[in-house]
Amino acid sequence: MGRFRLQVNGRRQVVDVPGDTPLLWVLREELGLTGPRYGCGVGACGACVSLIDGAAGRPCVRTVEDADGARVTTIEGLSEHGDHPVQRAWVDLDVAQCGYCQPGQIMTVVALLARVPDPSDAQIDEALRDNVCRCGTYPRIRSAVRRAASLVRGAS
Amino acid sequence: MTVSRRTFLGAALVVAVPVPALAGPAAGAGPAAGLTPNVFVRVDGRGRVVATVPRPDTGQGVRTMAAVLVAEELAVEVEDVTLEQAPGDTATYGSQAVANSTSSRQLATPLRTAAATARCLLIAAAAARWGVPAAACTARGGRVHHPGRRPLAYRDLVADAAALDPATVPVTLTPPERWRLIGRTRAGRSDARDIVTGRARYGAESAPRGSLIAVVARPPWIGAQVAAVDDGAARAVDGVVAVVRLAAPAAGQGGVAVVASSTAAALRGREALTVTWTGGTPAADSRAWLDELEAALPPAGSPVRPGGPGTAFPGAAADGGADPYLRRVYRMPLLAHAPMEPMNATAHVTADAVRVWAPVQDPGGLRTQLARSLALPEARIAVTPTLAGGAFGRRIEPDAVLEAIACSRAAGKPVSVRWTRDDDTRHDSYRPMSVHRLTAALDASGLPLTRTHEVVTWPLTVLPAFANPAVVRASGDHFPYTVPGDVSVALRPAPIRTGFWRAVYAGQFGYAEECFLSEIARHGGHDQVAFRRRLLPAGSRLHAVLDAAAAKAGPAPAGVACHLEYGSAIAVIADADPATRRVRRVTAAVDVGVPIHPSGVIAQVEGAILDAVSTVLGAQITVRDGAVVQSSFRDYAWARIGDCPDIDVIIVGSQAPIGGLGELAYPPAAAAIASALAGPEPVTGMPYGVPVG
Repeated sequence: MGRFRLQVNGRRQVVDVPGDTPLLWVLREELGLTGPRYGCGVGACGACVSLIDGAAGRPCVRTVEDADGARVTTIEGLSEHGDHPVQRAWVDLDVAQCGYCQPGQIMTVVALLARVPDPSDAQIDEALRDNVCRCGTYPRIRSAVRRAASLVRGAS
Repeated sequence: MTVSRRTFLGAALVVAVPVPALAGPAAGAGPAAGLTPNVFVRVDGRGRVVATVPRPDTGQGVRTMAAVLVAEELAVEVEDVTLEQAPGDTATYGSQAVANSTSSRQLATPLRTAAATARCLLIAAAAARWGVPAAACTARGGRVHHPGRRPLAYRDLVADAAALDPATVPVTLTPPERWRLIGRTRAGRSDARDIVTGRARYGAESAPRGSLIAVVARPPWIGAQVAAVDDGAARAVDGVVAVVRLAAPAAGQGGVAVVASSTAAALRGREALTVTWTGGTPAADSRAWLDELEAALPPAGSPVRPGGPGTAFPGAAADGGADPYLRRVYRMPLLAHAPMEPMNATAHVTADAVRVWAPVQDPGGLRTQLARSLALPEARIAVTPTLAGGAFGRRIEPDAVLEAIACSRAAGKPVSVRWTRDDDTRHDSYRPMSVHRLTAALDASGLPLTRTHEVVTWPLTVLPAFANPAVVRASGDHFPYTVPGDVSVALRPAPIRTGFWRAVYAGQFGYAEECFLSEIARHGGHDQVAFRRRLLPAGSRLHAVLDAAAAKAGPAPAGVACHLEYGSAIAVIADADPATRRVRRVTAAVDVGVPIHPSGVIAQVEGAILDAVSTVLGAQITVRDGAVVQSSFRDYAWARIGDCPDIDVIIVGSQAPIGGLGELAYPPAAAAIASALAGPEPVTGMPYGVPVG
């Protein structure tokens, strides 16, 4: 067992768990943040993507020991009222079907737009390459990324 | 996305049907309970419209569809409808199975009737209060209106309405020409905000607080059974509370469950187990399976010969010497469902009851099935369906639920069984492999005179054996063209679990038939669209969708396919670059009679097209040394956003009744995409251009 410090969605948290525990289970089962979904546990699907120190990270393949001291933002911490531009774009364009992968898609796009405010189609495809949507919402995800980019630019 | 203007002309007249009243004391219980005229709809004491959705939402959008239907008939907006999910209870709700693309067909009229009943009661209550004829009153915006009176809000009418005898109030459905929402609404998915904020609750999020977590050590090769377990090390893992042997079929597919206080502890415990396995088929190989299916094809005879032996196919010499017929064999792979949310279920077994929370496709059927297998009355079994992170046919099967029940019984607490992605990929109930030989005799102009479709495949192990021959035929045989011929099906014993996969056998049959038709057209020098138009019977609904797709896609398309099933019609046209294996554009035109929620209709077609892209480009399950090779999306090559073509979905209106849609687009999309990718080459299987099996 170890004692690990995290700053999650702006709050300081201390957890007592074995150091090899994947961060995903710490978020979901110790801290009750279930927005990051379990989809594969091996970093292959992207359903759990959250911001780790500002970049898109995969809590399912990051141990809590490795993440000690990190700042983590999950989908729950993205906006107080669910109105972040990326979330608004997702609702406006009716992206989701089952919705299970969408928190990970959204957080990946948040990180993308922070780096590249006006991404090309190729940059969108590259950023979301390892985010699987089994329902096939990709056409709408593409449109929603463009919509979100214009909303972010409009806001700044 | 495109919605044609003709969309709204359609819609046959639908009459109200009886909808069961709520049994028990809540029925018509006055202001506190509000107005509860039936099991699907109530208007509560605050005037809030609440719809009870009888079938689970697996991403197909049945909750949104219910909201649209109820909002239409109760004259409110889609977002004004509060949705509740019905528990498993077929006696109250009828069939609750998300299966065979039936939800819209079977639920639209009952849900509309349910809401229209509430509206008519509210209007009757207002009319009585005003002393005017009900016919002079209308409902709009959550209020009842009459010229010259101040409108009355539903909340001020529910008590009066609840006191009326529903049998005395005639119920009328809103006629199609007055629809504001059905087929017209621009509303998005009802659960969209919960989804984008992470608040949506799937299986794992619906487990009661304090549930233990279990993961299962599963057979390392097909059919292996537990011979011995050394669980000492597993029990010593911090957090592990029990190790439970699961015996198939009463406890799912068999294995050893490790029950713990957390997922991480359960996984560590499973890692520490030493299980000795026996039996099964450790040498099984899916290439050999496919070869065995092909070897079981009947001897290649001649099809019926209306044109006589002189009706040789022009390219016949290249296809087998003197064989005057075109023949082609198609080899189809195993496919996994791979929903984003892996299989899971939570159960709490107590002395006198069993409670289940799980993403399932048929909560009512599951409850009945559990009552039988557990020898309990249904009243002691509660099944709460959660949102499902995809299903595609997989969640019809109760295996995860049976595991959870066995674990909870052993642990004496609620237990949530979680499958890892590896479990989900390697222990699925797969779409069966199949081999199809198609034979055609052609006339001088290259049109097919006859066709023979010989199929060798496996049954669905999820079904009782006796049911399979009829199911294979009913699901697979939907050839919509006027070519006389014969379809024969031979079933060989399934060497692996098989189950329903989106479109079931139509996925294999339709793929082979349309790829074959494309090849015939190409060899005869025919335009793919004109060729099909010529072969379709006069009056087929496919003419209109084929024309609409062709008009949008442009001239001389390479990949074209049609499908007519579930009371709906679709044509799909694909454009691809054979050199780079890139699917550039897919155009689909669909006639579902009444497109209740247009955005949802388009989404279902888009999703099926991505399934087609995935399975044609390379996703397949293979078996070597007795085990499934693939273990996650890393090697089960599902399409990524970069593989996604530009997609146009056109909704074509018609006078047909409401049709089903969830599975409709997959078979023709796969055939059109494969034919476009193949260019001048023949398609010989799925995936295209990759060894099958």
